[in-house]
Amino acid sequence: MIEQIRNQARQLLENGDVDVVIGYAEGSDPSRTTPIFIRKAEDVEKLIYDPRCINSLPLYLNKRHEYTRKGWKKTAIIGKGCDIRAIVQLIAENQLKRDEIYILGVPCEGVVSHPEKWDGSLHDGNRASKCIGCDVMIPHETDFFPGEKPDVDRSSPYEATSKNVATLMELELDKRFAFWRTDFDRCFKCYACREVCPHCSCNTCITDETMPSWIDPAAHKKGVFSWHLTRAMHLVGRCTGCGECTRACPMGIQVDLFNQRMKEVVQESYSYKPGYSLEDKHPLITYKVDDREDFIK
Amino acid sequence: MKTATLNKSDIGKCIDLLLQADLRVIAPRLQPQVDEDGPDALEVLTFTEVKSGEGHQVGKGLLPLNGVKEFLFAKHEPLFAYEKRGKKIEIIPVHHEYPQTVIIGVRPCDAASIASLESVFSDANAGFEDPFFTERRSRTTFITYSCTAPDSSCFCTSVELSPDSAKGSDLHLTEIGDGRLHVEVITKAGEAVAKQLQELLKGEGDQATREKAGAEVTEKLTRIRDSAPIMDWLMDTANFDDEMWQRLGEKCIGCGACTFVCPTCHCFDIVDENKGSKGYRVKIWDSCQFDHFTLHASGHNPRDWQYKRYRNRFNCKFKIYPEKFETPGCVGCGRCIRACPVNLDITEYMAEVAHKATNPNAIKAE
Repeated sequence: MIEQIRNQARQLLENGDVDVVIGYAEGSDPSRTTPIFIRKAEDVEKLIYDPRCINSLPLYLNKRHEYTRKGWKKTAIIGKGCDIRAIVQLIAENQLKRDEIYILGVPCEGVVSHPEKWDGSLHDGNRASKCIGCDVMIPHETDFFPGEKPDVDRSSPYEATSKNVATLMELELDKRFAFWRTDFDRCFKCYACREVCPHCSCNTCITDETMPSWIDPAAHKKGVFSWHLTRAMHLVGRCTGCGECTRACPMGIQVDLFNQRMKEVVQESYSYKPGYSLEDKHPLITYKVDDREDFIK
Repeated sequence: MKTATLNKSDIGKCIDLLLQADLRVIAPRLQPQVDEDGPDALEVLTFTEVKSGEGHQVGKGLLPLNGVKEFLFAKHEPLFAYEKRGKKIEIIPVHHEYPQTVIIGVRPCDAASIASLESVFSDANAGFEDPFFTERRSRTTFITYSCTAPDSSCFCTSVELSPDSAKGSDLHLTEIGDGRLHVEVITKAGEAVAKQLQELLKGEGDQATREKAGAEVTEKLTRIRDSAPIMDWLMDTANFDDEMWQRLGEKCIGCGACTFVCPTCHCFDIVDENKGSKGYRVKIWDSCQFDHFTLHASGHNPRDWQYKRYRNRFNCKFKIYPEKFETPGCVGCGRCIRACPVNLDITEYMAEVAHKATNPNAIKAE
C-alpha cells in the first residue's frame, strides 16, 4: 500500500504537480512517527503509513502555518479518513480551496491512542476509541487511493457515541463537575489542544485578546474553565473528532470529551456530522428560510 | 556524610510523619481517568499535595508529568491588587502564604533543575531576586529518589547528570535491593527532615551497593548524545542561520507543551486581571514558543516563523543558560520529547549540532 502512495507522491513531485507532500516518517523513537514535508522526489522513500501515524496532518493546511506554506501552490497530503474529514471541513469553511490540495487517501484500520501504548501491533487494548464505529476507514474524498476503492455506506447521520462520554454523562452533575475540577487543576495553558486542532483558525485566538481580555490568561480555575469551555463552544458542529487535543495534552486531560459531547448534541438537533461533504455548511453558520423555529425569522 | 537505611514499604509512614509535623507534603500521585481500563486511558502521574501517605507513588513510575517547578514558581502569582478611585489608583498588597514544604520522590533530573531556576530567580551577581521564588525555595526540602528504570526519552547522562545523582537533593534515596533504601543526608534541611523520620531510619547505609545500583541503571540509558561541542557551535553567530534550524523545526506547531513541562523553562508574563475599576496584577507562565511572545507593538515580530522560536529554545538551553547563569539549561529529563505532539526531539538537534561541530568539512560538502 505504502509503495503505491510513494510512487504516486514521486510522480506528483517529478511532474511538478505539487510543491510538497505532507506525510508521516519514522519518529525519533520506535513507537513514534513524525510529520514530514517531502519536497524532493528522491525523499519519498521516507514516507510510511501504519497505526502509529496518529497526527492529524491537515493542521498544517490551516492558515496559522502561513510561513511554512509560503511558496506551496499545490500541496499533496496523506490522509486517513478522519484527517480527510478535517480537510473537507476546512474547505467547507472557506479556509482552503479544493484545487490547492491533492489528497492521497490511505485505507486505515485504526490508530493507536497514544505512542506509549504501542506494543508492535494494534488491538482492542490500544486502538484509539475514536476509531470504534468509524465509517471513513475507507476514506471518502480522495484524489488518489491505492487500489480499488470499495463503496461504503456513510448515509447514517449519526456517528458512534463515545463510551468515555457515556461514562461521564452517567455521573451526577456534581461528580462530573468534580471530575473536571481535578482534571483542570493540572492545566497550565500550554495551548497544545489549540495548536494541534486543524479547525482552530482564528487570526488571534480569543484567549490571546488583551483589549478587552475576554478570558483570563492565567491557569487558575476561572481562566482554565473559561478557556476550555469557550474552545468547546467554538468547535460545536465543526469538530471532526480526530481526538488530537486529548492526545497532545501533556497533562493527560481528556479535553475532547467536551467536543464529543457537543458532537452528539449537534447530531440530535440537526442530524448533522461535519467533514463529509464539501458543500455542507455547518448548522451554526447557516439558516433556512423555512426553519421551523420562529425566532430566526 | 550521614547515611542510613529505610524500608521501601515505610515511605507511606514517612509521609504521615511529615504531615504530623505540620509540613505540606508534595508527592507523585496517580490521577483518576474516565475509563481506567479503556484504550485511551494513560497513567497520569503528577506531583500533588497529599493529605496522607496512602496511595503515594514515590519510587513508582518514572517522572510525574508536571515536575516540581510549579511549587516554587507558581502558575498564577498575584503581585498586588489595585483599585481605581477617580484619578487615583490605590495599590493594595496581596498576602502570600509560603508553607514549609517537603517534596518527596523527586527524580535526580528534577532536583538538578532547582539550581538552574534559582540562578534565574535569585541572581546574586545581578542583584535581582524574585521574592516569591526565593521565599518558597527557602521553605522547601527535596527528598530525591534515584531512578531504577529510565525510559527511551531519558538523556540525563548526555547533560552531565546521572540517574542516581544527588545534585540539588536534601535527602537522597536509592534502592539497594531487598526492599531497602540507602538514605543520604545531603544538607541541613535534609538533616532536619531526617530527624522527623528518625524512628524509621535504621543504622548505616550501604554506600557500595548504592554506587553499584546507580551504575547499573546508568547503563540502561539508550539516548546518549555528545553535548560538549554544542555551546561553542552556538556561540559562532554564523550558525544562527544554519539550514538545520528550518529543516528540523518547520514541523513545530507552536504549542508551549515543551516549555511548560520543562523543569528549567521559566519565562513569565505579567498581566492585569481587571474587574470594573479594580483587579489584580498577576505573574503567569509564558512560553517562547507562542507566536506573540516576541511580537512588537509595531506589528513586527523578529521570530516570525515557528522554527526560529524553537531555535531560541535550543539556544536558551545550551548557550544562554550556561553563558549567563553558569548553570545547565537542560537536565535531560526527556519531558519535552514525551510531550511533543509532533515528535520534535531536542536530542536530534543535539546530535545534529555535535555532528556539524565535529565535522565542519563534511557539512560544507553537503
